[in-house]
Amino acid sequence: MMTTTSTICEDDLIQAITAFFSKNGYRVRHEVPNMGQSIDLAATKNRWITAVEAKLHDWTRGLKQCKAHELVADYICIAVATQNISDRLRDQALLNGYGIIRWDNRKSVCQWIERPKRNEKVWLAQRRQFSRNLRGIEYVE
Amino acid sequence: MSSNHWMMFSTFAEQRHFVYPTRDTYHGIILNANMAAHAPDGIARFILTKTYQQRYIIDPMTHAFQHDPRHITDSEGTVKRSIMKMAQEYGELITNNLGKRPLLPSMLKDEGECKDFVESCLNFQKSHISQRIETSEDAKYINFDEQDGTAPKPFALIAPYFYMKEATASLWLDINVKLAELTVKQKEDIPIFGMLVLSQGILLNNTLVNKIVEKFKSISLDGFLIWIDDLNEALAEESHLKGLISLGRKLRAISGSKQVINLHGGYFSVLATSEKLSVSALSGVCHGPEFGEYRAVIPVGGGIPIARYYIPLLHQRIRYREAAAILNEMGFLQDARTFHDKVCECPECRNTIDNNPDNFTLFGESNVKLVKRGSGLARMEYPTPRTKLRCLQHYLERKRIEYEFASTASIEQLKGDLNSGCEQFKEIIGLDQVSHLETWQQCLGD
Repeated sequence: MMTTTSTICEDDLIQAITAFFSKNGYRVRHEVPNMGQSIDLAATKNRWITAVEAKLHDWTRGLKQCKAHELVADYICIAVATQNISDRLRDQALLNGYGIIRWDNRKSVCQWIERPKRNEKVWLAQRRQFSRNLRGIEYVE
Repeated sequence: MSSNHWMMFSTFAEQRHFVYPTRDTYHGIILNANMAAHAPDGIARFILTKTYQQRYIIDPMTHAFQHDPRHITDSEGTVKRSIMKMAQEYGELITNNLGKRPLLPSMLKDEGECKDFVESCLNFQKSHISQRIETSEDAKYINFDEQDGTAPKPFALIAPYFYMKEATASLWLDINVKLAELTVKQKEDIPIFGMLVLSQGILLNNTLVNKIVEKFKSISLDGFLIWIDDLNEALAEESHLKGLISLGRKLRAISGSKQVINLHGGYFSVLATSEKLSVSALSGVCHGPEFGEYRAVIPVGGGIPIARYYIPLLHQRIRYREAAAILNEMGFLQDARTFHDKVCECPECRNTIDNNPDNFTLFGESNVKLVKRGSGLARMEYPTPRTKLRCLQHYLERKRIEYEFASTASIEQLKGDLNSGCEQFKEIIGLDQVSHLETWQQCLGD
């Protein structure tokens, strides 16, 4: 059973993840449309795209959403704000090569639990479409 | 033209699709009575200019009056105009409580009232559109002499009917039978069909199915339309599909291979029309332009429109993002030739792919719009009109191929096609996502 650290909403989590990536030199955009879905956070650095789904609850749904990003993102991550990471989430993430980022509300820090593996399933034709969408969206600081 | 292929008319915006891929693709069209009542001139024009050589049937939609009135009224409680016009055609039995109370079996006890209701319902189907056809401006371009000098009449008239589920069949069955009997008594030159709108549960209740069939056996109906509530054949259990086959066969057996048309059916139903089966269960299957392969009797609201690509070997419309992921993982988007060999070589796909498999993205092309969501704005993607048309035309091409294939292929070929889909896709999308193909084979094998 996972427990969510107190009083954080999904927007807070996304802001925390944004700061985490920005600090590491990424340019971050929120709510990026992708084939009828939306990526919570897309972080780009050089030519690499990292897609992040932030989930306070129902990480299984988050994993399904991550699946849809495999055609366009080089790295895919799920961000949670739980004190503990369940074995099932970890197993599923490892199996698919997804990274796990955890927000620790008590220490107010983000940390990597698992780093993502490079996604080999990118379809360049769709990636180009996605990049066009991406260019139309402003960065967030 | 395949004699098993029927198409459902829904909106005037879809008219042009009734002549796609070719003018003679469809054996006939099914029109809803509320649409016929609301826009008879438009329907007459549609028939004259688009589907003159096809048959048409008007579904009297009488079940609409038995549900909670909220389903036929707007948010202010006013009866929807098309429903009001249809009800007015059917007389006082229907209009008395329209929009206030649902029609109950107890309101259909009076023989005289039922007779009037049946008469009105039949007259509406018989004349409402055909009269408009005769007086239409476009009629001057048509040679009615090819059809005995008269405007095209419906292929069949449908007896008024009401939806039955296991819990309510004992209350509605006798009424449905009585209405069918009264309809047959008024038969002239146009065939009379019964209509069975049933819950999925009834398909599993053999005793009840036999009772229904037995009751209708005594009436000299010329055929049936059937509609099983929300039966998605790709998700349905084997028992439901076997129930559908069994029902179709029993109805066809009543008087020697009658017309039995599934009003909302997918590829499984199309397969059930094959004359190569020991007993074909259906004579025809209807669908709409990219909708209507299954439909709930009580309508539910739609969602955000989303592009879907029909994967031929799965016989299913799949969300574009999933279709693209599957086909990419299978290596079918490597080059155009592979795509056409392994996925589809219909004219729409050839035209869209245009020798470049990257153009598959055009089946998912969308525009991003900002829409209000909660207290803020969210970016949502909507398929472009051209995307919708591409997906639809590919779907209609595949449907034509499927109906023709079911009409002409041997049982081994039909099963081989299902098996091929199962074998090719299970490694990528898992057994659960292809199990319908296996189930369909099982059901047809009996």
